[in-house]
Amino acid sequence: MNIHEYQAKQILNRYGINIPKGGIAYTPNEAKRVAAQSSFRGPWMLKAQIQSGARNKGYFLEKKAGNKGGIRQVKSQRDILNQVEQMLGSTLVTMQTGPEGKLVSRLYVEAFTKVERVFYAGLAIDRVNAALTLLVAVLNGADISEIALSEPERILKLRLDLDGDTTPEQVDEVMRFLKLKPKSAKSLEVFINGLHRAFVDNDATMIEVNPAGVMKNGDIIALDAKFSFDDNALFRHQDILRLQDDYEKSERELQAAKYKFTYSEFDGSVGCIVNGDGIALAAMDLLRNHGVGTACFLNVKGGVDKDKISSGIKIIMTNPQVEGILINILGGFLRCNLIADGIISAASEVGLNVPLVVRFEGTNKDEAREILEKSKLPIILAETMEDAVNKLVEAMEESD
Amino acid sequence: MSVFCYKDTRVLCQGITGTQATFHIRRSLDYGTQVVAGVTPGKGGETHLGLPVFNTVKEAKTETGANSSVMYVPAKAVKSAVREAVEAELDLAVCIADSVPIKDMLEIKEILKGSKTKLIGPNTPGIITPGEARLGIFPENIHTAGKVGIISRSSTLTYEAVLETARAGQGQSTVIGLGDDMIIGMDFVTALEAFHKDAKTKAIVLIGQSGGTFEEVAARYYKDLKKKKPVIGFVAGNAIPFGHKMGYAGDIITNGHVTAQDKKDAFEDAGIITVDKINDIHRKLAEILK
Repeated sequence: MNIHEYQAKQILNRYGINIPKGGIAYTPNEAKRVAAQSSFRGPWMLKAQIQSGARNKGYFLEKKAGNKGGIRQVKSQRDILNQVEQMLGSTLVTMQTGPEGKLVSRLYVEAFTKVERVFYAGLAIDRVNAALTLLVAVLNGADISEIALSEPERILKLRLDLDGDTTPEQVDEVMRFLKLKPKSAKSLEVFINGLHRAFVDNDATMIEVNPAGVMKNGDIIALDAKFSFDDNALFRHQDILRLQDDYEKSERELQAAKYKFTYSEFDGSVGCIVNGDGIALAAMDLLRNHGVGTACFLNVKGGVDKDKISSGIKIIMTNPQVEGILINILGGFLRCNLIADGIISAASEVGLNVPLVVRFEGTNKDEAREILEKSKLPIILAETMEDAVNKLVEAMEESD
Repeated sequence: MSVFCYKDTRVLCQGITGTQATFHIRRSLDYGTQVVAGVTPGKGGETHLGLPVFNTVKEAKTETGANSSVMYVPAKAVKSAVREAVEAELDLAVCIADSVPIKDMLEIKEILKGSKTKLIGPNTPGIITPGEARLGIFPENIHTAGKVGIISRSSTLTYEAVLETARAGQGQSTVIGLGDDMIIGMDFVTALEAFHKDAKTKAIVLIGQSGGTFEEVAARYYKDLKKKKPVIGFVAGNAIPFGHKMGYAGDIITNGHVTAQDKKDAFEDAGIITVDKINDIHRKLAEILK
């Protein structure tokens, strides 16, 4: 689960990390009021609150929003009103939102903070070493994603303990790496320990401060913040769960989440229903070999409830982007005949208007195939995953 | 021989009285697996599926000589279940549950350090040595005993790989599902090492997927091996775009090397026979084992 920048900053602030003065605004007048409270004469930053990186490099779909990106600096009160009117209610597209973008319904208004230099700080999990890892990099104007690919040696990686604080030696190492002046030492220690504790206490999977700034007095300040949480640990964090913004998800994603299915959307045309992420990935690869993209995939996991499965299948059948459906089930605990029943009940409710190819393997596979054959629905049966993909691509070409 | 589980492996089941456990332990017993005990705290002294139930793993081990555990406990209980298995010094623990919190897994990895217990999973179909023992949720009817070792992160692709061995007219020595989670117990290297020591295994199928660098680590290990058995590698996830999720920190740790292609390149560089489609595996297997 992700949260917005302003929510992330509030959490970090509770752990002693400095953040610029600011507040959230849903209307131009609110923005003006928050701005006046944050800084007497500006300038101010207006930041679109959508859950995506690279907002400043993004663009708005609507003409009225002007040419600038999702993060804007303004110098006068009058300019605040103009810019806020442009941004609110407009759709921001970034490299992480997909071409359809995300609606901006609120802005974070902050006092512009003058800093002497900026750096990148992140906390994430090193999967292979099963370790919490602090990442620090000097940016020098470059993008962190570019540095990661081309000059990974410019990124300091430190393993942090799950219990306890970051050690003084580690803080010193970051000091040296960033070539900070001694006056920053205390503030850097608070900053790193704040990130560390915020991560562990809240079962985070990622925190990113990109960038952090060093102010004239040496203090470190978080100019941006991203926070992701472990969905599987949310049961012990009711306070975090309340921060969930349903507007960030599509109606279909919310539906799928209700049934505890995994559901992901992409920009292609095939809807995949599978019972494992690996098989979804492999099916998407095969489709791509044919030049066909995936619209979405739904992982019904070990689902055993026919009605739940039928609801899941309906999510795919009613996605307007879907021009063909691939159902690939390898039954173990999950019985294939349940999926067959679910397909028929979903098709009878919402209709089957696109080619559908089904491949069953494993528990009760023959019974399941028989159910589909008896239904007289125009369903194509396949033997292997490759066979299923070939048949679907062929059927989609014919129906064009 | 096969690896990690055999016909004389004495298995206890943690969480035996649950629905999923009941369903699968019955099937494992029918398969011939030597399940000798169950563990459910508070139900010690009862009998379930004809097996004695104990309150603790230690008791079950002392009373029945069990040396391995398959656990069907819910995600929230996994940490304490693994701790118990480690403290009882079992050889093997297989954890089926999905959705285990990542922080719990980080702690579990600390618990496992320096212990003799090997953890498979979580979020795995388990481990099966066809004709000998089934610890997990495998659809056992697709397996036959043979000389191909299979190691996979994805559950469903494990089954695909098994079907491919059948299409090649071959069976499996042992099939290991490493698990589909962010942090997993056993990794490719431990499994590769075991298959290389196992006389019965003549070829290995390795199924990876995008995310993490488990495959790169396996490739490095294999590259340095003096005596290599043939390994066929497949990696799923080429169609997933880079930076699909929010933020970069996770990708920075792997220096941006997160795509399936990066892993395939690492496989090829190490001398692993890499296939583009999972349904190509049977042809390669037939060539190697003719």
